[in-house]
Amino acid sequence: MTPRSVAVVGGTTVRFGVRAATWSELAQEIGAALFRAVPELRSEEVDSLFVGAAEPERFAFQSHVAPLAAEQMGLRPTRILQRTELACASGQSAIRSAYAAIAAGLSDVAVAVGIEKMNLPSMAEANSAMGCVLDRLWDGPHGATAPPFFAMVAQRHMLEYGTTEEQLAAVSEKNHRFANTNPHAQFYEKTFPRDKLLRLPLVAPPLRLGDCSSMTDGAAAVVLAAEESVRRFTSTPAWIRGSGQYSDFHNLANAGSLTDWVGLKHAAREALSRAKIGVQDLDLAEIHDCFTISELVEYEALGLCPEGAGGKFAADGRGEVGGDLVVNPRGGLLGCGHPLGATGIAQAVEVYQQFAHSVPAARQAPDPEWALVHNLSGSANVHSVMIYQAGGPR
Amino acid sequence: MSDRPRTRRSSAEMAAPPPPIPAPAQQPEATRPRPVEKRPFLLDFFPLEGEKETRLSRFYQRLREGRLSTTRCPRDGAIHWPPRTACPKCHTEELEWIDLPEEGRIFAFSAVLGGAPLGMEEEVPFAVGLVDLTGVPLRLFGRIEGRPWNALRIGEKVRVEPYDVGDGRVFYRFRAPG
Repeated sequence: MTPRSVAVVGGTTVRFGVRAATWSELAQEIGAALFRAVPELRSEEVDSLFVGAAEPERFAFQSHVAPLAAEQMGLRPTRILQRTELACASGQSAIRSAYAAIAAGLSDVAVAVGIEKMNLPSMAEANSAMGCVLDRLWDGPHGATAPPFFAMVAQRHMLEYGTTEEQLAAVSEKNHRFANTNPHAQFYEKTFPRDKLLRLPLVAPPLRLGDCSSMTDGAAAVVLAAEESVRRFTSTPAWIRGSGQYSDFHNLANAGSLTDWVGLKHAAREALSRAKIGVQDLDLAEIHDCFTISELVEYEALGLCPEGAGGKFAADGRGEVGGDLVVNPRGGLLGCGHPLGATGIAQAVEVYQQFAHSVPAARQAPDPEWALVHNLSGSANVHSVMIYQAGGPR
Repeated sequence: MSDRPRTRRSSAEMAAPPPPIPAPAQQPEATRPRPVEKRPFLLDFFPLEGEKETRLSRFYQRLREGRLSTTRCPRDGAIHWPPRTACPKCHTEELEWIDLPEEGRIFAFSAVLGGAPLGMEEEVPFAVGLVDLTGVPLRLFGRIEGRPWNALRIGEKVRVEPYDVGDGRVFYRFRAPG
């Protein structure tokens, strides 16, 4: 059987930030927003629902969230109803699962939604939740969470390649500037010039506050449809052309060199070769800037620049509008915040809107045809990549 | 690039492998220390260490005796971290235990200056790092005590230090010379 072609035919996000809303209220809010954003969508035709949610047990004391999300969003799927969990990549996992189901003919119209409520009365409990993404038995007792791990990546990158704090700040400044074009971003209307970024307090040296994405409440959703019904929803679909994932370790002891992200190279190679394109064909990339150093290492592992040259790539503005390709135009995780389950879906929403030329000019990639979406999860031990092609009138 | 750190060192590069440790005598049930939980179990990162709770209780028992140990596959000699109950390559469940070297050198480090998990807030600031153990192809993550984080250096020697968690349980950390 030849797999069917699948496209994202619409989507939206709620406002990201510290929200006066419960997990269920975020689900209701994204449900209402989705039906407004995709007015052609009828609830009864959504046969499947995939819910990206990383840690609702920890952050909201709630399991079995797929039926809860369906109830809150007003959906009654009859074919596939499931939650996807891959920590920071839970949202992309929901899209990948919907894509697989539609391609295989098991679903015709699916919704992939990501919801995360991360701000708790106790920040220490929230930090514990982030800690148990890592190897809880062996790394957890040392107090391991994401910031010190990515800080060690930055330390090694600085040692091996001479990468500077100023180059890290260039990533943060770019993504926060883009976030100022996105009213749903956590740091909308907040400016972070480079000299200010370099004076913010250290969180995990050498990383400062502005180098780290934040704890964020948020939700995002997309509609996916099979080739037969795509045009009923939109004239500007975002076709899924490739997908790849790779994991080569979990315990921090097995993280290798820290600066050579082998898993991303494998995942990107798989996704790009399925799409039959090269990295130079990309017009747009939504990549996982959980920390500034992540975006730098990703430039290198994706092959956008030589190994060790990520800092220069950032400082030279090659990820800006008018550069080699536009990187993280919606504002990235740094500017939008990082509600774990929602992030991967919000990135796909940006790709859809970029292809539809419906984003503000300050972040619009010029006539984009190809886009890459990347999420890492955990200690960059899993990499997930998808490739989209614009299918609208060109 | 020849000067880049290798992702993994082969076991052929390590020094002569340490001999396996004989299995310890079973401790009588009544004298085995029982963990006292200070926090709800699901908010406590320190593991349950007893024979009734884990098949790796020997690791914690040996740690209580002052030595960090781990498992090794008797077929290909590969040293695991963390210690395992089944080999990830050949899947034998008949693994042997070895003691690990008591010192190593810092490969990378950082510090937690805020945002510590529950129960560790009062320990902030604390240093953590990846340490290449001397003579074995293992790079372990752990706390580094003994010096403020900004006085540590990549490449310097640290010692493995077992310590009492405070409620009968034991764990390990590294200590930089003061």
